[in-house]
Amino acid sequence: MSGEPLLRVRGVHRRFRTGPTVVHALRGVSFDVAAGSMVALVGRSGSGKTTLLNVIGGLDRPDAGSVHVDGTDVTTLDEDGLSRLRREKVSYVFQSFGLIPVLSAAENVAAPLRMARVAPTERERRVELLLELIGLADHARQRPAELSGGQQQRVAIARALAASPRLLLADEPTGQLDAETGLSVMALLRGIVESEGVTVLVSTHDTVMMALADRVIRIHDGHLDEQAAEQPYAPVPDAG
Amino acid sequence: MNRWLTRRWPALHWPSIRGRGRTDAGPLLLTATVIGAVTLLAGAVPALLGAAADNAVQDTVHRAGTDSNVLVHANWERDDGPTGGRVRMPRLGEELDDFRARATDALGPDLDAALLPPVTAVNGPILNITDGSVPRTFQFTYLAGDLGGPDVAWIAGSPPGPAVSDEYVEIPYDGPPWPVQVGLSEPDATALNLGPGDRIPVKDGQGRDKDVRISGIYRPADSADPAWRLAPALLRPVPGADGVGTTRFAGLLSRESLPDARLAVDEDQLRRTVHFAPAPDALTWDATAALASQVVKLKAASGSSSDRGQALKWESQLDTVLRDARARNSAASAQAAVLLAGVLAATVLVLLLAADLLVGRRTPVLSAARQRGAALPDLGAELIIESTMVSLSAAAVGLALARAVAPGVSWTWAVPVVLAGAVAGPALGTRAAARASRDRRQPANPAARRWIRATGQLRRAAVEAAVLIAAVAAFVTLHQRGLLPVAADDGTGELTGDLILPISALTLGALVGALVLLRLLPLGARFALRQALRSRRPLAVFSAAQAATTAGRALPLLVLVSTTALASFALILGSTVTRGLTDGAWSAVGADARLDVSADAEAATPALAERVAAAPGVGQVVVAQVTDSARVFADSTLLTPRLVVVDAAAFQRLLASTALPDAPALARLTAPGPGDVPALVRSSDGALRTGTRLQLPRDDDQAPAIRLTAVGTAPSVGGATDVVIVDAAALADAGLPAVPNTVWVTGSGAARAVSNTGVAADVVLRADVLRAQRVAPLTAGLLRLAWTAAAVLLALGLLGLTLAAAAGASARWQTLTRLRTLGLRPRDVRWVAAGELLPPVVVAAVCGPLLGALLARLTLGPLDLRLLTGQAADPATVLPWWLLGLVSVALLAAAATVVPVESALRRRDRLSEVLRAGE
Repeated sequence: MSGEPLLRVRGVHRRFRTGPTVVHALRGVSFDVAAGSMVALVGRSGSGKTTLLNVIGGLDRPDAGSVHVDGTDVTTLDEDGLSRLRREKVSYVFQSFGLIPVLSAAENVAAPLRMARVAPTERERRVELLLELIGLADHARQRPAELSGGQQQRVAIARALAASPRLLLADEPTGQLDAETGLSVMALLRGIVESEGVTVLVSTHDTVMMALADRVIRIHDGHLDEQAAEQPYAPVPDAG
Repeated sequence: MNRWLTRRWPALHWPSIRGRGRTDAGPLLLTATVIGAVTLLAGAVPALLGAAADNAVQDTVHRAGTDSNVLVHANWERDDGPTGGRVRMPRLGEELDDFRARATDALGPDLDAALLPPVTAVNGPILNITDGSVPRTFQFTYLAGDLGGPDVAWIAGSPPGPAVSDEYVEIPYDGPPWPVQVGLSEPDATALNLGPGDRIPVKDGQGRDKDVRISGIYRPADSADPAWRLAPALLRPVPGADGVGTTRFAGLLSRESLPDARLAVDEDQLRRTVHFAPAPDALTWDATAALASQVVKLKAASGSSSDRGQALKWESQLDTVLRDARARNSAASAQAAVLLAGVLAATVLVLLLAADLLVGRRTPVLSAARQRGAALPDLGAELIIESTMVSLSAAAVGLALARAVAPGVSWTWAVPVVLAGAVAGPALGTRAAARASRDRRQPANPAARRWIRATGQLRRAAVEAAVLIAAVAAFVTLHQRGLLPVAADDGTGELTGDLILPISALTLGALVGALVLLRLLPLGARFALRQALRSRRPLAVFSAAQAATTAGRALPLLVLVSTTALASFALILGSTVTRGLTDGAWSAVGADARLDVSADAEAATPALAERVAAAPGVGQVVVAQVTDSARVFADSTLLTPRLVVVDAAAFQRLLASTALPDAPALARLTAPGPGDVPALVRSSDGALRTGTRLQLPRDDDQAPAIRLTAVGTAPSVGGATDVVIVDAAALADAGLPAVPNTVWVTGSGAARAVSNTGVAADVVLRADVLRAQRVAPLTAGLLRLAWTAAAVLLALGLLGLTLAAAAGASARWQTLTRLRTLGLRPRDVRWVAAGELLPPVVVAAVCGPLLGALLARLTLGPLDLRLLTGQAADPATVLPWWLLGLVSVALLAAAATVVPVESALRRRDRLSEVLRAGE
């Protein structure tokens, strides 16, 4: 967690125009995230969390400022460059899972690997490993509709990790889960940071979830209100 | 909820209603346009059919000719004299007037108003002319109407007068033949070579001489006077009226010579008949049932008067003609109803799709309103007010336009469309709002998830089973009961409740087909997905996955398949009727042109045929002697088929050069062999069949009848159902040479070649017959409706495709955007989008026309199309593959346009916005 940060955000502004009204979603946001850490992005609804995640992942372009992911300035990439970035370095986990309903859990996890044209044997090995990691090896052939919400979100996390990204952006990943399931999902993310060395930036407003993060970044009305986590992360025995 | 229960009326929030209306003005306007257009069609068609029905009734009666006349007979008052002889009755004319007046009174006011003024005809028996070697017959006839008989000019001699001047004459039964004076027409007199003062050498059937004298030669003032149709031999000799090879002549009686005519023949041999011809303009569809019923009553009443008194004995085919007209009208109404039902069902499905799109756009607003505490009844009421206003106003515009273009308007058929437009949106909208306040999380318990899935599957299976059962019942009813009303004389022309099920058969069949495809499409998509998963191409996987994900969406596939199937059916129906009309014209004429040579020009027929054959553009020329209602005996039973005496080989060549079916059996007519003359036979009731021995009597009673043996099935000639065909040479060898009276001509120059022959002949052109059939009111109306329905259904299908694409766009681009977060390149997005949009379109493009063809096979028979095409049998189903192909191409082209257009439009959307909208 030392040296060059994996994520560097500098002076990012983002405005939205709704008719005559201009909404400042981000107002000069700057921060760094070190590689291999888990950072919680916290704020109320409309504070700019999702906008910030979108700008970092290249899903949205800032009006000003720069975002560097693993040395690449995301804001200067064209669409193909952004696609390459998403295939190789940045992945997402959404609140609504976003799994392909007709594919099995294993096939969903394999989707990014297909996109990256990974060889079938390597793909199968990687999928098996990831399903093992999220504890759903026995559910590999089940379709999303046959899984609970927590299991679906775990599959979504495995899919996000499939292409071995450097940065995983998770936008309210526990929003549709009950507290207990949400905690286990967050614990899974925590474990992945430990085991895979991936950097995770997760937006949440659940204080319990924050406890699992290395660091908490608070955002309020487009401004950053950063402070270190009050308590350093302590492993949860039954997580995962 | 409790708050709602305590209120009497919903609390409407008018600003929300107005706001939603403004925001979704586009979809609402689209819905209104669909409702208005279909209401226009559904409102106008019944009224147009009603107007066509009146014309069709008049057209049918006109075509029926004298068959539709109402005839009434009555015996004469007996003429027994006080001394055992017969008394001359000088006031017989007045008795006829009284008879005519009695008959007119008995008609009743409705029937009297529908008939022209009566004509009384008095006919003597058929007498044989004994002079000359050619068989000829003679009959004397008296014609009188309310204003006297048809006008004639006496060009030689004088009108027939009384044989005696005494007021009272009694003659013995076995006395010499009583003289009677008649007038002859110029052609008759010329043919008989007789003049005023001459006696016509005639004998009756018992060989007794009759004293018939010619008082004068007349010329009709108007040979088109309908009265002459009752006795055409009074104008000119009529060949074949009393048998093959005979010619009938007639003498005109006057009021003064009528009493002598009675004494000239046996007491009951002079028949008097009052003829009432229909007044076509006075016949309307509404009146047909009552008129037919009145005719039946008159006939039934006369059937019970078997005494020899002067009771009226009625005879008419008018009831049958009117029943046929009613059957044709009923068939046309039912056929139109079948098409309309299809259009309405497709419209309802499209309106559901439009409602789905509208609700998809409004779900966030409705969900927010619900989450803020809006009661579902309030939201439902607001949506119903909006949709009702849109539907009713659109329907009003549609019906107003229908009233402008049609002689009336019917709102019955518009009800389902208006109801669907008014109810679909609120129902789906309220359901969407209700879901906003429901826990949408996937249950963690697998059993609960299975229960949810099973419940959904059961619900769907129940709906499918209901549609299937209804379709089976509809098809069974259609085939067992047909589409015509059970009682032809009942009803007002409106469709009755018992017809709803068979009329719905086509639509239900299309729905069942679509439901089957809806079951098969996911299986196919999953199969394609399994194949794609084995490939190394990610696009194939994601396209197939997208297809498999959305393959279960019911409405788009139901709309696309049902509209293409129903449009294909309409095209097949139109093509089948069109071909049926063409075939019917071929069958009615027998060639490109036909000459019906008049009797006095028959001798010139062979020369005429040679002249026609030499004309440019003429292919085949065949002469024949065609005798309608020829007398033929089969096992002592008198049959009256159409007898065709023709060169069999030439006739076979003629058939081979036309669209008429070939008749290889014709070759058997010329096959050498001893014994009977070979004949080909055809009959509607099976009375004539191969192997039947026939006898063709000759008019010369001394000559034996010609024996025929049926050696095969005859082709239909002139649309007649009962036909006997004999080779001319074979019949001549048997002693009866043919006198050709018909010339069939084929080739592009046929019409020109027969138009100016200089010979008295009726020219019948196939093109004219076809044109007349095509413009016949019901046929033309149904054809227009079939093409219109096909166009409307295709338009509905294309609209459905667009609406389906729009309704699914939000979810589709959510998925595509998520795939882009996995690294899918922007340029690959459209292929994955196509994976969702194309499968239902391809299925509809391929299976829709096939389903339409299958439905045509299953339903065209009971539709009784022959009643419109004028054919003896139902027309063969015609599959216009190029038109069906156009339907498919139009659908595929639309899909191929929608995908890139949507991609281009969506490319501007930021991924973040798409994802945010989906949260």
